[in-house]
Amino acid sequence: MKTSYLKAVRAEQIKLKRSPVWLAFIALPMISAFFGTFNYLLNIEILNSEWFSLWTQHSLFLCYFFMPSLIGTYCSYLWRLEHTRHNWNSFLTSPIPLSALYFGKLSQAVFMTILGNLWIFFLYYVCGRLSGLSSPFPKDAASWFLFGTIGAVTVCCVQLFFSLIIRSFAIPIGIAMAGGILGLLMTNKGLGLRYPYSLYCVGMRANNPNLELDVSALLSNSATYILIFVALSIFYLHRHEISAS
Amino acid sequence: MITLQMEFKKIRRKKIGLTMCALIGIQFAWLLWATNNPSEAELLQGWLGHLQSQPLLCAIMMPTIMSVLASRLADVEHKGNTYKQLKTLRPAGTLYLAKVLCGFLFIVTMTAANFLFLLFLGYQYGYVGNPDPKAYLSAFLLQIACCLSLYLLQLDLSMLFFNQMIPMTVGLCGSMLGVILMYLKTYSFLPWGGFLSSALVRMDWNPDTRVITYYYREFSPIELFALAMIFIWIAVFYTAGRILFTRKES
Repeated sequence: MKTSYLKAVRAEQIKLKRSPVWLAFIALPMISAFFGTFNYLLNIEILNSEWFSLWTQHSLFLCYFFMPSLIGTYCSYLWRLEHTRHNWNSFLTSPIPLSALYFGKLSQAVFMTILGNLWIFFLYYVCGRLSGLSSPFPKDAASWFLFGTIGAVTVCCVQLFFSLIIRSFAIPIGIAMAGGILGLLMTNKGLGLRYPYSLYCVGMRANNPNLELDVSALLSNSATYILIFVALSIFYLHRHEISAS
Repeated sequence: MITLQMEFKKIRRKKIGLTMCALIGIQFAWLLWATNNPSEAELLQGWLGHLQSQPLLCAIMMPTIMSVLASRLADVEHKGNTYKQLKTLRPAGTLYLAKVLCGFLFIVTMTAANFLFLLFLGYQYGYVGNPDPKAYLSAFLLQIACCLSLYLLQLDLSMLFFNQMIPMTVGLCGSMLGVILMYLKTYSFLPWGGFLSSALVRMDWNPDTRVITYYYREFSPIELFALAMIFIWIAVFYTAGRILFTRKES
């Protein structure tokens, strides 16, 4: 199983070679960081919590509206290759367990999401220093990163499932956008930890760096959603006869 | 007309209408949540408030919705590799116009549903007075124009690239830019800044009294030029797309 998994990861890497899909994960956080910092500097009299204020400006729109869509776009791209022409035939008949093939794709999505998150925090640090923040970088950022990443992995699993069952490239991205917006409404109603798309924002403490996070709830809910959607995806791959036309 | 009919036949059972309904439904859910339990002051200024919040909502959602719509319409040709075959049936320019009209009809329907829902909400909550017909009609037409400019941009990109990730990413980045600009400026010349430039109502928040006052915006010459940019973008994207489509072979 381990060898099959490594082969599947390698195959995914070959499929993604010379494909500029990572550019989106670089560009979107840059826009957010640039304008977030600009807005922070414009309103520095009101936004007086230094690093925490800067974090709200960087993360608010990115985490709620755009990161789920971006993850959705990446997941759609991962399955698009299989949905195109007769690629399902070779995918389903490859001498590797289907679960390993699925985990190969999931690994790519998770890897890119972690890179994207690291980039967000790197930009946060650089923009903070360039804005003249001399106080130490907040230690809480490690927790935001860790729990944000766990939330993002949940979104990856949900989006990989939708992109698997829906042949269209664009519809799962629409679902991700709708999910992100509903996530905002759910978080506002205090149900953020129960809804898969808001786990990322809650974990990242977007717009509320002082939030007391219920870690056990976030971990257990994330694990539940991850297990459900991984199981659904593998079940779908095994049981559903996917049309190659 | 035949080409337009053909366009609708191609997207039959593709559930594009259903997708658009679902996405607009999310917008309705957001509106319901945002306007829930209005206070006395909100009832007094409700009709103006709608015209202020609507462009912001559109700046967040519409670029992605337009990307999805354009991608769905263009992807039919990519997947079937039908560009050459289509051109043997009808002139390329007519085919492109049909794609534009098809998307335009979706946009008009969605915008009409959107404004009808705003009116329904206003009367349901009992906002004081009636909506200003001139302002609402202008906002309706401007929203259609903004959506059309974004749709044309996305359609051009979706036809140009087989890899639909590129147009979708452009749509997402543009959307983000549009939303952030909403908080920084009163106008923008960018295609995604159309909703910002065309907002007819602005808001004044008094931090001492914590009271929001809405007022009709007076356009400065540069803001009027930014407004005109929406129509310039429509012309630019339509011309570029038509040329692109005419020359495209695979």
